[in-house]
Amino acid sequence: MNKKIKENLFSEYYKTMEIDIPSIEKREFGIGIDKKIDARHLSFKSKEDLRNYLVSTPPNFISHSTGYYQFPSITPIEKKVWMGADVVFDLDIHSETKYGVYQKLESIKEDAIRLVEDFLVSDFGISKKDIVYVFSGNRGYHIHTRNNDYLNLRSDGRREIVDYIMGSGLNYNNFFDEQEIKRGVVKLTGPTPDEGGYRGRFARETIRLLHEDPSVIARKFNDSAERDKFIEGINEGNWSRTSVKDIKNRLSVVADRLSVSCVNTDAGVTQDLSKLIRVPNTIHGDTGLVAKKVEKMDSFYPLKDAAVGWKGEKTVTFTEDVPELEFDSTYGPFKNKETKSLPASIAVFFALRRSATLSP
Amino acid sequence: MEEDGEIEFSVRYPFTQTAKRVIQDQNIQLSDRVVELAVGRLKNAVQGKKPSKSTAIHKSQKIEEIGSYAAARMLTGYMRNNYVTERFAVYESKRARNYLESEKQEWVETVANEFGITSKEKESIFEIPLPVYLNYSPRSIEYRLINRKIDKGFVPVKKEERRRLIEEAVRKHVLHTPIVKNPTSSIRKAASILRSSFTKVTYGKRISLPRENPPCIQKLLESVKKHENLPHSARWFLAVYLINKGMSNESLVALFSNFPDYSPKTTKYQVEHARKRGYTVPSCSTVLTHGLCVSNCNVGTPSNWGRKRGKKK
Repeated sequence: MNKKIKENLFSEYYKTMEIDIPSIEKREFGIGIDKKIDARHLSFKSKEDLRNYLVSTPPNFISHSTGYYQFPSITPIEKKVWMGADVVFDLDIHSETKYGVYQKLESIKEDAIRLVEDFLVSDFGISKKDIVYVFSGNRGYHIHTRNNDYLNLRSDGRREIVDYIMGSGLNYNNFFDEQEIKRGVVKLTGPTPDEGGYRGRFARETIRLLHEDPSVIARKFNDSAERDKFIEGINEGNWSRTSVKDIKNRLSVVADRLSVSCVNTDAGVTQDLSKLIRVPNTIHGDTGLVAKKVEKMDSFYPLKDAAVGWKGEKTVTFTEDVPELEFDSTYGPFKNKETKSLPASIAVFFALRRSATLSP
Repeated sequence: MEEDGEIEFSVRYPFTQTAKRVIQDQNIQLSDRVVELAVGRLKNAVQGKKPSKSTAIHKSQKIEEIGSYAAARMLTGYMRNNYVTERFAVYESKRARNYLESEKQEWVETVANEFGITSKEKESIFEIPLPVYLNYSPRSIEYRLINRKIDKGFVPVKKEERRRLIEEAVRKHVLHTPIVKNPTSSIRKAASILRSSFTKVTYGKRISLPRENPPCIQKLLESVKKHENLPHSARWFLAVYLINKGMSNESLVALFSNFPDYSPKTTKYQVEHARKRGYTVPSCSTVLTHGLCVSNCNVGTPSNWGRKRGKKK
């Protein structure tokens, strides 16, 4: 995409962008032109400084450190004097076709909500006002937690959190206790729905499955009497009120649904204390979508709600086939070499995705 | 606390704010005796001796002992030798733990509060705030978060588990010694005495490590080099990996002598035992379960690294 056109468009957006970066002066920034990060160790004294920079020389990508430093721009990193870091999670779709990702974003969104509601709020007791959802600008979501109690957590503690959320090493068999009450009769005691952590979640998810899709556990539970008897028992922590044989093993289907597996651990976002993460509300240079801070997660739809909303239309010529996509309404499919006039944000999206060229 | 109480408390827990205050109030100086005691303290630590309880009876003895901790810390801050600092940290944390085992509740609380290990107690179960728990729980499987109950930001622990958290907190505190750049001549002299007392340990042969290792093993080897304290599971994993790579028992023992709590007898036994049992290198998922996985290399088991499937891109 033509550099000048792009810079003008980005620059126009940055004039009015809402900047929400707590302690901006203590953060290290990194910018990217070709790669996500080409230069780091930058710093800005104030929101206005950052805005002036973005308006005058808008980069393709801009990230800030999850960490806070006394001297954010000094190198090497050891001299910055680390003062703590937000706990940030990166949830994304690992492998999917170029445009297939956008259909899958809905499931990542559900995972993000589950991570916040079930884990950060329920288990960890973090207040919702300290948690920010941010669309990554392309294939996932970032969750920023800005809670003082967690600021000083070191890398291994953060890794523990990620492992916990991903359920690595979870053995649900440990939730249960077997006791022979008389010859051949075994009482299986286990978690109750009101318990915290994975135990309670396990009980609640079992009950939910029994209501919504009982045959996943055992066909016998299609019978409502059998089901209700079992649920009644679970509520009291008694898991043996069923004639289903081998019930404990059958419950493995429940265990598989409890964790959030799409937390990106590969890039070490959560455990790396000096990680840079996309600045909320800035433009993602591969899509032209805003890495938007999301207020209403339930109804958020990236291709519509994260569009910059540049005015007017632009003409593009496609350089490859593109499937039908849902923005604020449906566009496409488009054929290679097809020329089309599209709303500016959508035209820029295809140009930055390298599926089309923009006519000047 | 009464003055006598404060002094006794500080003998037992010389790393606390109370002890700092006692040092000021009693105007404790770096006398020759205090430095001499500090050297003894560090020697005991480095030689891996079991910490014993104080035998000081008179106030003057107690005061010297409190001072000796401060002087020892100054020495480690000046020497900046990882091995010495790590060993000193293990020694002091175990010493504190010894006292805590039979300590009166009020004093246990004071020490716990020192590190922010506040807790609500209910029927001898202590509810620890999650971030505090994560900072001070040892990295062993029974302390892994996934295996714990957790409720609204609190992790319930038993009394003895809380003592273990305090021990870990002490160890981490001692580990973070501020750098001392221009110490008094007595500290300088003591440092050189200490250095010469550590006989250079030479082993029959140089330890040669496998050249290409997966990130999890590489991380552990770096920890060993820095003389960091590793949990049993990590040591076991490292040993089994290296045995399978063909390393000899002597080399392994030599490598493990870098640990701050090294005991020749135990290490030799454990290494021989691991070899006798013929353990195979655990799978990546087991490594993950123990919290030792640091990457997603997709090799299935660490021993496949660089062999079967490609290296991490």
